[in-house]
Amino acid sequence: MIIGLIIGLSLFYLSYKNFNNSIILDNKILSFTFLQLFFVVISFLCLIFSFVISDFSNETVFNNSHTTKPLFYKISGTWGNHEGSLLLWLLVLTLFIFLFLVRTKNQPVKYKILTLVFQQIIIVGFFLFLIKTSNPFNYIFPIPTEGLGLNPILQDPALAIHPPVLYLGYVGSSIIFSSVLAATSLKIISTSWASHIKKWILISWIFLTLGILLGSIWAYYELGWGGFWFWDPVENVSLMPWLALTTLLHCILVLEKKSILTSWVIILSIATFTLSMCGTFLVRSGILNSVHTFANDPERGLFILVFLFILIFLSILIFFFFHKDNDRKSYSFFWLSKETSILINNWFMMYFLSVVLIGTVYPIFLDVISSQKISVGPPFYHKLIIPFLIPFLLMMAIGPKLKWIKSQLEDKVYLISFLIISILLAFLVLKNFNQNILINTILISSALYLFFITLRDFFVKKYKNISQNIAHFGFSLLILSILFNNIFASEIITNLKVGETFENSKTKIVFESVDQKKEKNYNAIIANFSISNLNGDEDRFSPELRIYNQPVIATSEADIKTTLMSDKFIVINLVQNQDFFNVRYQVKPFMLWIWLSVILICFAGIVSFLQKRS
Amino acid sequence: MKYLKFFLIVIILFPLSSINAEENDKRNKITKNLRCLICQGQSVYDSDSEFANSLKIVVDKKLQEGLSEDQIYEYFKTKYGEWILYDPGLNKNTYILWLLPILIFLIGGAIIYKSFIVKK
Repeated sequence: MIIGLIIGLSLFYLSYKNFNNSIILDNKILSFTFLQLFFVVISFLCLIFSFVISDFSNETVFNNSHTTKPLFYKISGTWGNHEGSLLLWLLVLTLFIFLFLVRTKNQPVKYKILTLVFQQIIIVGFFLFLIKTSNPFNYIFPIPTEGLGLNPILQDPALAIHPPVLYLGYVGSSIIFSSVLAATSLKIISTSWASHIKKWILISWIFLTLGILLGSIWAYYELGWGGFWFWDPVENVSLMPWLALTTLLHCILVLEKKSILTSWVIILSIATFTLSMCGTFLVRSGILNSVHTFANDPERGLFILVFLFILIFLSILIFFFFHKDNDRKSYSFFWLSKETSILINNWFMMYFLSVVLIGTVYPIFLDVISSQKISVGPPFYHKLIIPFLIPFLLMMAIGPKLKWIKSQLEDKVYLISFLIISILLAFLVLKNFNQNILINTILISSALYLFFITLRDFFVKKYKNISQNIAHFGFSLLILSILFNNIFASEIITNLKVGETFENSKTKIVFESVDQKKEKNYNAIIANFSISNLNGDEDRFSPELRIYNQPVIATSEADIKTTLMSDKFIVINLVQNQDFFNVRYQVKPFMLWIWLSVILICFAGIVSFLQKRS
Repeated sequence: MKYLKFFLIVIILFPLSSINAEENDKRNKITKNLRCLICQGQSVYDSDSEFANSLKIVVDKKLQEGLSEDQIYEYFKTKYGEWILYDPGLNKNTYILWLLPILIFLIGGAIIYKSFIVKK
């Protein structure tokens, strides 16, 4: 695979050439970009190929693969490691700039070229990074006969496609970054530019949402805790660009219609990409204590950090030199208008973003400054976010109904009656649960309110903005399912031997037998349970304990029965040196709806994307 | 090992001591807020490592001794340091952590109000 290295180097050279030549002819640029893309694709395919044929002379393959792995995971192992995933970053970077050049027709040539220049700065930076600190084509001699294997919890279908999807979203924000800088320096930020860039924002937004969803599903069934979001630093790092992108998506609407808020759009675009880069830095440098930290190296972190500072410096420079606020006088809205409601959305989103950002970064700072270690976990985020969610949900229901410039609230009767219905319904649902009844009632009623309002809008009016409607409806569904999931979840943790039975007032768990299974890349112990509830429904479960052979790691595979209304989730663990198994059985209502609502939100994004095309 | 013996005793005693559901809930709540120190970003509740399991037993014991939730947190804090708590308290180290987001919220609101909205 030395060829790969040479290609990588020549590619690096080419991109330099590309960079220098980019002021010349339009066609030439396009072909150069294509060439660049072509070479990156080639080197990426080379890496995949060496994974498939298990070529252990390649260091990356040696560290992350094994001959006994199934083919599917050999391929996904390509991006399941640091070097490969960075090559994927690069691939997406070049892919996006190429697509951008091909698809953008109605914009000035100068703008396209400048976008290309900025994108090339990022690409070159990543090339340097890749070649200097993490070349995927490093050669080992003597050639080992067997690889070290891929971390078994990464050997999973959801996680196999999670990185590419997430990266499309993450890196997709780079094109927004470059084009914003280009547009700023050419002073062409206008309504037409806004509707042109909106498409790109939507693309990366859709992929980012899907990517986060996949990661969350994976965490749910693979990490074996039955949770789906842990406020873990690495999860936060993917949430932050999402929040920024969502804000940007709303903000660009104002710009598209009224050509105001330009500085804000610029700042947001820069912030989104910076957050994506920060994410890469935080994850790759290993200064975070996280379940998802699989590879780290301080040198890499330093490089990204320096590169990040250069980019931020550059963008701030451009912002201050070229951007002039020329629309001061139109900067005022009537308090009850669409503009105001979007601003309020931005306001809350920025708040959520700051909570997540500070919660993630502050412990690191404190550690550096005073070497005191503190942990910031779920309670922190819940306390700061949940109270603000209530007005946010209400605004989400009312905001879209307002008109531009100045409007009156129509259908006041409906709005109020729906509010009352929601509160009553929430109270009825929660009547029998006495813990935290006040806050839960308020939360559920505001989510229900959004639910009803959006549902009604969907059916009653031939609503103009159908994607917005679906997205907000999806969001209300998401919040509702998360709330119900939290409030009505039940759980049994117990220790059982084979043949024993656990029984309480509602559930009976019978531990029937234990089987063994031998697969190519792991051995498994399969435990068979039959679980029955009050109604006499009986389910059979067979969770597994797997011992992977390369590397030797034991994992627990949960067995999940998914139904429309609830998930039943069982996971076992071996209690060391004993015959007991630690059994954890959970009933999680509305689990499926959490995934469905996120898919619905993505779908809304796709609808909006297609609408703009036609 | 000492803890294994202890574990056995707990298992044997478990059905007899008839721990009610409320206490169980309380234990789950507490262990969710404790970091498993030897794991990568897992709470004691989520983890099945030896450390986490022994901590769960300690929490049970403390609950049976009649300690309140806060007292138990305080106990772990003095024993293992603040690192173990997922819910950092408000003190001079964490003023910024807790108050900065709220400050940002207020400033943001002020900016929007000041520069964009015309009152009638």
